Amino acid sequence: MDTAAPGGGNSGRKVVVRVKRRPDTREEPRWEEFALDWRPHMNIIICLRDIAERPVTRDGHATTPVSYEASCLEEVCGACAMLINGVSRQACSTLVDSLEQPIRIEPLTKFPVVRDLVVDRSIMFENLKRMKCWVPLDGTYDLGPGPRISPEVQEKYYPLARCITCGNCLEVCPQVNENSDFVGAAILSQVRLFNAHPTGAMHMKERLAAVMGPGGVADCANAQNCVEVCPKQIPLTESIAEVNRQAIREAVFGWLLG
Amino acid sequence: MREPKIIVVGGGLAGLMAVIRAAEAGVPVDLFSIVPVKRSHSVCAQGGINAAKNLKGEGDSTDRHFDDTVYGGDFLANQGPVKRMCEAAPGIIDMLDRMGVMFNRTAEGLLDFRRFGGTLFHRTAFAGATTGQQMLYALDEQVRRFESERKVKKYEGWTFLSAVLDDHRVCRGICAMDLKTMEVRTFPADAAIFCTGGIGAVFGRSTNSVVCTGSAQSALFQQGANYANAEFIQVHPTAIPGEDKCRLMSESARGEGGRVWVPRKPGDKRPAKQIPEAERFYFLEEWYPKYGNLVPRDIATRAIHKVVYTQKMGLEGAPAVYLDVSHIPRETLDRKLEGILEIYEKFLGVDPREHPMRVFPAMHYTMGGLWIDNTNQATNVSGIYAAGECEYQYHGANRLGANSLVSCIYGGMVAAPAAIRYAGGLDKGCESVPTIVYENERRRQEQINDTMLHAEGTENPVTIWKEMGDWMTEHVTVVRNNPDLERTDAKLQELADRFKKINLSDRTSWANQTLSFCRELQNMLVLARCITRGALARNESRGAHYKPDFPDRNDAEWLKTTRAHYDCGTIKFTYEPVDTSTIPPRARRYDAKA
Amino acid sequence: MSTHPLTMSASKTDDQSAFFWRKLHSLSGIVPVGVFLAEHFWSNSYVLVSPEKYDAVGQELQTLPFRPIIEAAGIWLPILFHAGYGFYIWGKGKSNAFAYPWMHNWMYTLQRWSGLIAFLFIGWHVYTARFLTGGRSNFVTVHDDLSNNLYAAFYLVGVLAASFHLGNGIWNFLCKWGLAATTRAQRAAAYLGAAVAVSFTLAGILIVYSARYNFHPFARYIQQ
Repeated sequence: MDTAAPGGGNSGRKVVVRVKRRPDTREEPRWEEFALDWRPHMNIIICLRDIAERPVTRDGHATTPVSYEASCLEEVCGACAMLINGVSRQACSTLVDSLEQPIRIEPLTKFPVVRDLVVDRSIMFENLKRMKCWVPLDGTYDLGPGPRISPEVQEKYYPLARCITCGNCLEVCPQVNENSDFVGAAILSQVRLFNAHPTGAMHMKERLAAVMGPGGVADCANAQNCVEVCPKQIPLTESIAEVNRQAIREAVFGWLLG
Repeated sequence: MREPKIIVVGGGLAGLMAVIRAAEAGVPVDLFSIVPVKRSHSVCAQGGINAAKNLKGEGDSTDRHFDDTVYGGDFLANQGPVKRMCEAAPGIIDMLDRMGVMFNRTAEGLLDFRRFGGTLFHRTAFAGATTGQQMLYALDEQVRRFESERKVKKYEGWTFLSAVLDDHRVCRGICAMDLKTMEVRTFPADAAIFCTGGIGAVFGRSTNSVVCTGSAQSALFQQGANYANAEFIQVHPTAIPGEDKCRLMSESARGEGGRVWVPRKPGDKRPAKQIPEAERFYFLEEWYPKYGNLVPRDIATRAIHKVVYTQKMGLEGAPAVYLDVSHIPRETLDRKLEGILEIYEKFLGVDPREHPMRVFPAMHYTMGGLWIDNTNQATNVSGIYAAGECEYQYHGANRLGANSLVSCIYGGMVAAPAAIRYAGGLDKGCESVPTIVYENERRRQEQINDTMLHAEGTENPVTIWKEMGDWMTEHVTVVRNNPDLERTDAKLQELADRFKKINLSDRTSWANQTLSFCRELQNMLVLARCITRGALARNESRGAHYKPDFPDRNDAEWLKTTRAHYDCGTIKFTYEPVDTSTIPPRARRYDAKA
Repeated sequence: MSTHPLTMSASKTDDQSAFFWRKLHSLSGIVPVGVFLAEHFWSNSYVLVSPEKYDAVGQELQTLPFRPIIEAAGIWLPILFHAGYGFYIWGKGKSNAFAYPWMHNWMYTLQRWSGLIAFLFIGWHVYTARFLTGGRSNFVTVHDDLSNNLYAAFYLVGVLAASFHLGNGIWNFLCKWGLAATTRAQRAAAYLGAAVAVSFTLAGILIVYSARYNFHPFARYIQQ
């Protein structure tokens, strides 16, 4: 057994972690501090697991394991976004050694908190629905191959298709808050993706109609935080500008030239 | 005529495909998933999806794909379903292509194909090194469209607890728990399709996502569904070991020219880059000249084990070998493998384009799973269907890389129409089942929750889980010895006893992840025994199942499917013949000369 | 098998008025407000030639045909709309430049504050230069105003705010109208915006200096 259990480490080095706890949606948040045994390559998920195995605060009080979302642990599912030392990022790929201590862990602030670090990001999926982010298919029966696509086009749009809907871009966006219904960069980037696909483009007008509606592309105010924080380095600001261009063209020439 | 009602549990590739097929048929579907379906474990599939499209002028055919799959699976797979799957694969690729999956392209704008393990053909379509993610998203988008047309209702953030069985042991719906409110509720349905994926958590650290616990399969197993070929566990040769999980380094790294090696001098302390070609031991290429680095996974994994544990040639004495792509042009790597190289870079802080990666085998996939019939993806329990990794049908004793995605999609495609046919043929639908049937199941599940929440023991569930994982990884993966398996089985029983004395550090009734984890853990312990006992019984070596004491395949005694039955706490095995009607079994050797 | 409709699910007609106003807001900052600012700086820069030339140009502008209509439609209404809608937009955002101190995020915040300062300055500027002088502002009145240190300081702040707001606004406009779509084009647009902001600031400072200290570097043009 080579697993270093919490409390069983031998280096003596500690990792001090402060977690913003909120038992449910009614209670006020409070902070709890934990001292964990340091191990090499430790990430935030390992810290949270250590707490689950021994849910005792630094000053010796028994508590509950921290609720959090996580799934793939290799930054491809998007589940574990949270604020770590004040910055929105994925817990799995955030290594303890890259952080200043005590490490502050908080839930995202732009989404309703369910419990502790768990937030409800379903609005993003709803917005994908609203913006009609799909290629309309006649059916899944065999209709032969899809449209030919040049390698250049594939290489341009594949990065957009890697969006993991983690919500980091919404979290850091000053335009996303309780006063606004801005859908955020991730969703607009998907609009660009489907407008670019040969079949998806056939329904660009419907998508643009949605994108010109409430919370749409016009709500972007160009702070460009999204592209700084995107864990997949998606060119989100290019996507927004491109969707802007499509929408403007539609708005200016749509009624003029049909 | 009454409208059939279908439930799909699990929102990965198989589940979403089943949902789409049902929605297309105009049948209302309820889709249950622990996580938002877009976060399902299918996103982790990296390398690609196999289909004999023969776009490289190599003379590939669905028959060759079929043969490679059966041979790669050491003849344990039923050949009828495998053949149909391989024949459907090119059409599946076309469908995905039409859905907008950003597959890599050739200069002519056609789909590009790469080589993968266990075949000599370029048969694997790919979207960079995130093919599973791209495919899942495409299906997710289609489902979202059906959802907006109100043909599908999603229950995301619900965990499956049990099937609702009537007095005739026929499935009439499911019982599930809302992970936020912890509400336990039953959902009537005429048929339920289970697409609940892998079981990695049984082995503690694997390449699987946290949600891959096998809990649903195990719950069904305990309710009477049979579980087949549990002992066949795929250990992927190249993963980055980690304390929280082992991160996969796709076979596509080797498909694109990556090479596996160790220094010829054991314990060589020089940096990899300073070790000249002549002093590098490319053991896969030397031992398997025809397939080289692209031997099937069971072969590659055992070779690495041999190099590390028998020949003591692991890197600086540690259990690790090099997976080297540093000789491949950077531009090619970024175009075709960026997704995985980025993982290595982010988690280890080393650029694999410059330095060989340090990798080691890790538990990756279960070939075994819920027993289903050869035509309809139907389990032995009426009304319960299964598709994807949670069933056993397509991969025999060892799965070939890039075959899992095709089996997921194909299984979902078959399961949905079959379930609808079954539901349509019922005399009485779920609406005529007495409510007491549902009420009883709900009470039974709530009772289990209550018992766990109020247990006043001393055991921590995470500790039990870690011990189980360590034992399973050590004794029930690459090399299996009967005495070790016996000890593991005893250990698992000890853990099950200790589980009765757990103490939940969280007894709240709101988003209580400790409770749901405990319920999964209880089921994992059962599944772990099923795997261990299955391995103990099978005294031969076949595919991923390797016993040094029984080093050869033994078709006379063991060319048969293991079928586990659960009966009041005991696991019993029966064996049934394998469909070998098309390709007669032959010796499986990858070490022949080219 | 039932076929599903070839078109996508029917969309409710989205209210696109916000899109229209947002884009108009962005455009109005360039045309006509930005263009007017350029014209204003240009006509005022005649002070660098001579007070007489400055007054002559002022006279020229004040005798434009249809002046009230041109001023209302081309200057006052657009500025009021741009400012008013700008404040509305400000209210819908929540600046977080301290938490995420990236350059463009700071620009986002500064754009709002510079807009407020410029608006206050314009209001005061119009009041002092237009209403207090009864529309007969000339070099003498301006020189007198700028001789006051506080006035001069406020002019400089106003010039700086307006120049920054326009320069950054050009960058914003090019992005928001999709004219600079690639990262490379956006970088070029940022340089363009910066160049505009810097040149307007320098020109503005020079004009203020010129009016305050009777400094006319281009006076020699007349002697030639």
